[in-house]
Amino acid sequence: MDIFSNLIMGFHVAFSPMNLWMCFVGVLIGTLIGVLPGIGPTTGVAILIPITFGMDATTAIITMCGVYYGAMYGGSTTSILLNVPGESSSVMTTLDGYQMAKKGRPGPALGMAALSSFIAGTFAVLMLTFLSPPLANYAVSFGPPEYFALTFMGLTLVTSLGGDSPLKGLISGVFGLLVACIGIDAQSAVARFTFGSMSLLDGVGFIGVAVGLFAAAEVLVNIEEPMLQIFTEAKLTIRSLLPNLQDWKDSFGALWRGSIIGFFVGVLPGAGATIASFMAYAVEKKVSKHPELFGTGVIEGVAAPEGANNAAAGGALVPLLTLGIPGSGTTAVMLGALMIHGLRPGPMLFSSRPDFVWGLIASMYIGNVMLIILNMPMIGLWVRLLKVPYKVLMPLIITISAVGVFATDNNIFDMWVMAVFGVIGYLMKKLDYPAAPAVLALVLGPMVEMSLRQSLTISHGNLSIFFTRPISGTLTVIAILSLFAPFLRILWKKYRAGKTAAV
Amino acid sequence: MKKADLITGFVLLVLSGYVIQESWRMPSSATFGPGSGFLPFWLGVLMALLALILLFNAWRRPSDPKEGSPFPGGKPLLRVVAVMVGLGVYISLMEVLGFLLNTFLFVAYLMRAVERERLPMTALTAFLTTAGLYLIFQVLLGITLPRNMFGL
Repeated sequence: MDIFSNLIMGFHVAFSPMNLWMCFVGVLIGTLIGVLPGIGPTTGVAILIPITFGMDATTAIITMCGVYYGAMYGGSTTSILLNVPGESSSVMTTLDGYQMAKKGRPGPALGMAALSSFIAGTFAVLMLTFLSPPLANYAVSFGPPEYFALTFMGLTLVTSLGGDSPLKGLISGVFGLLVACIGIDAQSAVARFTFGSMSLLDGVGFIGVAVGLFAAAEVLVNIEEPMLQIFTEAKLTIRSLLPNLQDWKDSFGALWRGSIIGFFVGVLPGAGATIASFMAYAVEKKVSKHPELFGTGVIEGVAAPEGANNAAAGGALVPLLTLGIPGSGTTAVMLGALMIHGLRPGPMLFSSRPDFVWGLIASMYIGNVMLIILNMPMIGLWVRLLKVPYKVLMPLIITISAVGVFATDNNIFDMWVMAVFGVIGYLMKKLDYPAAPAVLALVLGPMVEMSLRQSLTISHGNLSIFFTRPISGTLTVIAILSLFAPFLRILWKKYRAGKTAAV
Repeated sequence: MKKADLITGFVLLVLSGYVIQESWRMPSSATFGPGSGFLPFWLGVLMALLALILLFNAWRRPSDPKEGSPFPGGKPLLRVVAVMVGLGVYISLMEVLGFLLNTFLFVAYLMRAVERERLPMTALTAFLTTAGLYLIFQVLLGITLPRNMFGL
């Protein structure tokens, strides 16, 4: 079969010493980032873009993907041992994981988290392998209206599913699109919103914005109060990490349900790992024979969300690679990085750069294996790393961000962009505006504008072009419906409340 | 959050006003199809609409006297501002002091002035951070970092 020969070629690429080494380094740094408080996966990937800049595109994305799922995994360690989720996607793991640790079983909880991450992660890569090529084939026939509808849908789904307040998500998204307009318009060479500055003619650098909104803003939020040091006295050996037979029996159902839910939720733009882990946990509680035990330290409560968030990380790569539409903050940052490397993710990527696509997919199989080999023996070491105080980390994060942003273009102006967006990001965090829609909109902005203008040129200014073509029509309708989803949710709540009141 | 939303709504309204005015001056249509002012104009209109909804929602909500500002005051605020100002100075002095001296001083400032760390620890962190970054960027990645007039 075609997929298999491609996959073998991919393994050829991934097994080159350089790629293997960088995959290892990425997974290692990712786990470190996941374990350390105050830096999440998005920040980690954003800071690393400049460092991967000099590499070949395939090696760069392999490193970033390693960081991405390494961080997903690392976050679970602190959730279980300290009740401190490294990122929002491991919040659900704290519920039962921390309880297990308190009851004297931290080992099996950590071990099951690692193993379920591995199994679900591998499942997601398998699905990615078989689902992406047909999807990419199908998308090759897309014209400007389809692309506009697709990007439009990606943006609306992220804003409406993303945060607590859809209004604030929308504002963040529109803000990102406006920032994308800054600079010379590629189609008519008109300078827009440059405030007379020469440096802005090129537009606002993506890396500066992403590092500012995520890394710098996170530092500013964390610096407000001196961060508390938390320790654990848990003694961990490799043998104590292995779950026993009963644990496996209990977790089996949770594992495959979590993998499937995680993957498909991850594929949807905007949903991502956090929602996947919430859903997987809720489903597990619902189908369980003893739902009342959830939250007291049952191993299913660890296996389901951990599996789901790793499967979602794999699922999120499907729309990114096949359609060029990132579904989350982290994949948006990765898309930006790919474009800097001169790659335009989308359906054509499968035929124009098969070495890249299949090398990446193959490296994800390898990365998952590395992650488990690396982590099972090293959990004890990771725990000791938690003793590194944040006040030492803080200057390091700031300076590595600033210098990294400078290094991409040898340009001081980009550092200013980072500083300004650091302050904007801080304000957004404090006022509950999600940053992901803004970054997504900034990355997709040029594509949104070009496809919109091309479509309207084809149709002589008639908006109906987005509705009459079957694919773009469906996508546009989904996009518009998703904008109204929050209202429907409110109506549904009122309806339910009214019904129970009537009874 | 009521006051915060009212202020943000107002700021966003001013921003969208500026965007609409600017994009009005750009060519709204090219020879074929919409021109460069087309998208920014409608984005400005959309932003104005969203800002109005935000203002309306905030205005209608009863203010909660127990709910404080989302921003910190006093010491925490001072720490945030100290880091922001420090970063600004760091960037401004980058090409004057050169990467090595500038980064050493910046990290020392963060450790000493913001974190109130003891001197030996401050010096050690500043030295190790600077050396580590130099090793990664200049030696491993081959990027020419800014130097001062003495070539350091």
